[in-house]
Amino acid sequence: MLEAQNLMKSFGALHVTNNVSVSIKQGERRAIIGPNGAGKTTFFNLLTGELPLDEGRVLLGGQDITKLKPDGRARRGLGRSFQKNNLFDGLTVQESLTLAAVTALGKSGIFWRDPANDDEVVQRVKTTAQQIKLEQVLNTVTDNLSYGQRRQLEVGIALASRPKVLLLDEPTSGMSPEDTGGMLELLKNLTGEVTMLIIEHDMDLVYNLADQVSVLNYGQIIFEGTPEETRASEEVRRIYIGEWGEDDA
Amino acid sequence: MIKQETLRTFLAVLLVIIAVIYAVNAGYFGKEILAEILLFAILAMSLDFLAGFGGMVSLGHAALYGTGAYFYAVLTVNYGWNAPSAMAAAIFFCGIAGWIVGAATARVRGIFFIMATLAFGQMAYVYVFENRALGGDDGMSGIPRLDLSLVGIDLVDPTNFDIFLIVVAAFVFIFLMWLLKSGFGRTLVGLHRNEMRMRALGLSLLLHKAAAFAIAGGIAGLAGTLAAQHAMFVSPDYLDWKLSGLVLIIVILGGLGSLIGPVLGAAVVIILKHQISAYTEHWAFFIGVFLIIAVLAGGHGLYDLLVKLNKRARRKATKPEEVVDA
Ligand SMILES: Nc1ncnc2c1ncn2[C@@H]1O[C@H](COP(=O)(O)OP(=O)(O)OP(=O)(O)O)[C@@H](O)[C@H]1O
Ligand SMILES: [Mg+2]
Repeated sequence: MLEAQNLMKSFGALHVTNNVSVSIKQGERRAIIGPNGAGKTTFFNLLTGELPLDEGRVLLGGQDITKLKPDGRARRGLGRSFQKNNLFDGLTVQESLTLAAVTALGKSGIFWRDPANDDEVVQRVKTTAQQIKLEQVLNTVTDNLSYGQRRQLEVGIALASRPKVLLLDEPTSGMSPEDTGGMLELLKNLTGEVTMLIIEHDMDLVYNLADQVSVLNYGQIIFEGTPEETRASEEVRRIYIGEWGEDDA
Repeated sequence: MIKQETLRTFLAVLLVIIAVIYAVNAGYFGKEILAEILLFAILAMSLDFLAGFGGMVSLGHAALYGTGAYFYAVLTVNYGWNAPSAMAAAIFFCGIAGWIVGAATARVRGIFFIMATLAFGQMAYVYVFENRALGGDDGMSGIPRLDLSLVGIDLVDPTNFDIFLIVVAAFVFIFLMWLLKSGFGRTLVGLHRNEMRMRALGLSLLLHKAAAFAIAGGIAGLAGTLAAQHAMFVSPDYLDWKLSGLVLIIVILGGLGSLIGPVLGAAVVIILKHQISAYTEHWAFFIGVFLIIAVLAGGHGLYDLLVKLNKRARRKATKPEEVVDA
């Protein structure tokens, strides 16, 4: 479904992405883990086209999308959420989700109808709001939401476009344990159709959600396997000294 | 997205009523000033749509206005077109010109965008100024007005022309309000607020900005055709960047992104201009000072001032009830 072939990216002398190849099957949930600064977000930015590649190719559903800009890739079905909340300040939850729905449904060129009167858009906004459990605060301005709610909206805006492949960059970062549990439930409930790549530090969430794990370190994939295999790997354990292990053992 | 909906509508209706009363009762000079205000109001709404909602602060808007005026003048005077067809053609041409400028500047931001639009404007200005077929710096005269005698209206009469302009301005306001609520308008505002996110959702920056510029260009062109009819004369001054600057001042002073604010701004600035020019020809200097004071006072324009006053009045009105409730 999504294939990265020999991706290379340097910032000056720093090889942030060093010959990264990843192949993700349809419906797969793949976790990308690795220490801070390993190049995880950069990898996402290369997949979405927000950063230009030095070398390599990106294929979506078998088609080469390397030359497409971020909006072109999004129209082919690549959706993403951001590590740092990237919302529409001043707009309500409903308005924010409407923007996503209108754009994804190809209705951003319609100038004769208010999307509030468009059943397809309204339905999409409603189901998405339910998915991210924000249906009670639809009319709240984004700035007035709690941090956890903003995080949910961050994921919701990406979900509202119903991407074929969804890239989630640390959806639970900074969240309380309860909110993290809610996010896990939300992500598990997404039907099997969506292919998912998720950057995550919370190992419980990875363990519960992912089918496969890829471990990035210094811009290279150093391990790939099931969550169980990953947890058992000596090499991965060395990178993550102290970050997990004791309480799960 | 559009806050204070009722206040805006109320203000729009109020301004229309005042304008109609004034159009009927003012003296000749007053009627001329009203026409000038209305022409600027249409142009300012067009620029506000582009800058206030679309985030594209253009300093070349007068070029589109002047292009509309000249296009209309040439088609009617040199080619004998009737007024409605000439107007339609001018609006269409300005829409295309706007589209091209919008597409060319879609990825340009901030001060570079302002400079790019200024450059486009100056190109058009120089072209018209140096073109003998367009009368060069003498301009063109003998431009006809729309003939509405079929419905019994004589547009040569200044009152009738003022009323006609009021109707057009109201129509432009309603059109833009409606456009801003559409899928297109909402995503345009979304693009302004968070370009990166809208692109990540699949919105084409280039197509969207170009389309917005085309619409703004068409409306600026419409204002130009009306200005040519009003003065029955066009000159390169119509495309002058100083005029673009004045319109931008009107929009900022009136309230960027409020649509009705710039209409108010047009009235204030044009009236001020005529008042001051009775004493000195350096009226622009004083309007500049006025703008600086308004901006330094932390103002987001006249409209914002009204919104705040309205809120305060409402708070005062509701307080006694709260006391009763308690
Ligand atoms: N635009 C840039 N210019 C220069 N260096 C950059 C740029 N973006 C990222 N880097 C560097 O690249 C490295 C990888 O950054 P990246 O954000 O991809 O890491 P990450 O794995 O997502 O880390 P984290 O877990 O902290 O989010 C870091 O050293 C970072 O400083
Ligand atoms: Mg990161």
